[in-house]
Formats: sequence, C-alpha cells, structure tokens
Amino acid sequence: MPEGVIAGGWSYVIAAYGITTTVLVLYVVSLFKRSSAAREVSDGR
Amino acid sequence: MNRGWIRWSGLAGLVLLAVGTWIGLFVAPAERHMGDVQRIMYVHVPSAWVAMVCYTTAFVFAIVSLWSGRRVWDDRLVGAVEVGAVLNALLLIQGSLWGRATWGVWWDWDVRLTTSLVMLLLFAGVLALRRLADDEGRRASWSAVATIVAYVDVPLVYFCVRWWRSLHQVQSSPDTVDPAMVVPLRLNAIGLLLVAIWMASRRRRIEGARREAESAAPPARVASEEVARA
Repeated sequence: MPEGVIAGGWSYVIAAYGITTTVLVLYVVSLFKRSSAAREVSDGR
Repeated sequence: MNRGWIRWSGLAGLVLLAVGTWIGLFVAPAERHMGDVQRIMYVHVPSAWVAMVCYTTAFVFAIVSLWSGRRVWDDRLVGAVEVGAVLNALLLIQGSLWGRATWGVWWDWDVRLTTSLVMLLLFAGVLALRRLADDEGRRASWSAVATIVAYVDVPLVYFCVRWWRSLHQVQSSPDTVDPAMVVPLRLNAIGLLLVAIWMASRRRRIEGARREAESAAPPARVASEEVARA
C-alpha cells in the first residue's frame, strides 16, 4: 500500500478558516443591522 | 433565558473558539496521511455538530409552536433554523475544500455530501416559505410543519455513512483520535455552540420585534380605506 502525506495543505486550511470567519462576521453584522432596523420600526410606531 | 447570560456565553464562546483554533492550527500534530489539511477538521466537525444541534432545537420548537400556538416559539424556531442554515452552508464549503485536497474533487454526489446539501436546501426552504405567508398564524404553522418535514433529513445525514457506502469517513470517537486532536475539537465545538446560542437568541429578538411591529401596524386594507375617507 503506498504511503505518503498530502503536501501543500495549508492553502486549503487558510481558505477554510478564512471563509468561515468572514461568513460568521458578515452574519453577525447582518444581525446588528437588522436589530437596529427593527428597533427603528418599533420606535417610529 | 437571561439576556446578560447569553451575551457572556457568546463572548466565552469567542474565547474558546480563539484558543481552540490556535491549538488546532499551531499545536496539534499533523495527521499521518492527510498532513496539515486535516486541520480543517477543527472547524468542519464543530460546524456539522452545531448545525445539527440548531436543527434539532428548531424541530423541538416547531412541535411546541404547533402544540401551544404561542408566537414566541415561532421566533425561536426562526433563530435556530437561520443559524443552522449558516453553519450548514459553511459545513459544505469547508467539506468541499477538504475534499479537493484529499479526494481531488470539489464535489461528489456521495450520500453524505448529497444529504447535507439537501438538508441546507430544505431548511432554506423553511425560511423562504415564511416570506409567502402574510398572516402571522399561518406563517407560524407553515414554518413549524415545514421544519418537522425538513428534519427527516437530519438523522439521514448522521447515519448515512454507516448505512451506505460513502467516500466520507464514519464518525470518529475519542478512542480513535489522538488526544492532542480531541482538545481543540472540543474547545471549538463548545465555543461555536455558545456563539450559535448568542446568534440564534439575537435573531429571535429581531423576529419578535418584527412580529410586534407588524401586529401593531393597521392592516393595509383598513389604512387605505382611512386614506380614501380623508
């Protein structure tokens, strides 16, 4: 059975962690924006 | 649940995620065959676990929402489904990157990958369905029923690798994983769970505020009649 190690994996690791962080940050920003929009609607009622 | 407690749990989750990610990237050993690319596991597996926890919670909220008829359960359902869908999308992206490095392909219609994609589409469908219902009660009951139907796929995603042949490996256990890899995995899983609780709680409050504003606003027909009368 051939033995070996996958080389050059760091680029995939950086991409996975980078995309995960970016998506989570963007989602949290969207939550804050929607929160303030909902607050404005209830204040303007 | 106490709002302050949830905020602190979110912050604690961020700290755990930072520590777990640091250990996973720079302290834990590289896997014997996969090398450094296996480090994707420390974010991929927690995303899968927490997405499934979110969907399971949404399933429980759906049953309680139908049973009690109280709208607050519908607000909670939306929070859990939306956060679950975000993590589900991340799960697929991370898995695609890992698959490209280890299998040589970005995607394969393998049973685990396909059921995970179907899971995302079903729960995204729940969120889309809500936009079709104008009536608050109908929106809540449609969402609850659709969530219960969508949840059928969740156990399939979990067990499919045991039931059918799959490219994807079966679930590991602490007995089959190096202890140095278990620590960052658990830290990231607990950290992501705490952050997910905070995000779902925040989303629940937005839904509650939106629903209250909607029920306080005069119905469109009445408002237009008043305008015509004036």
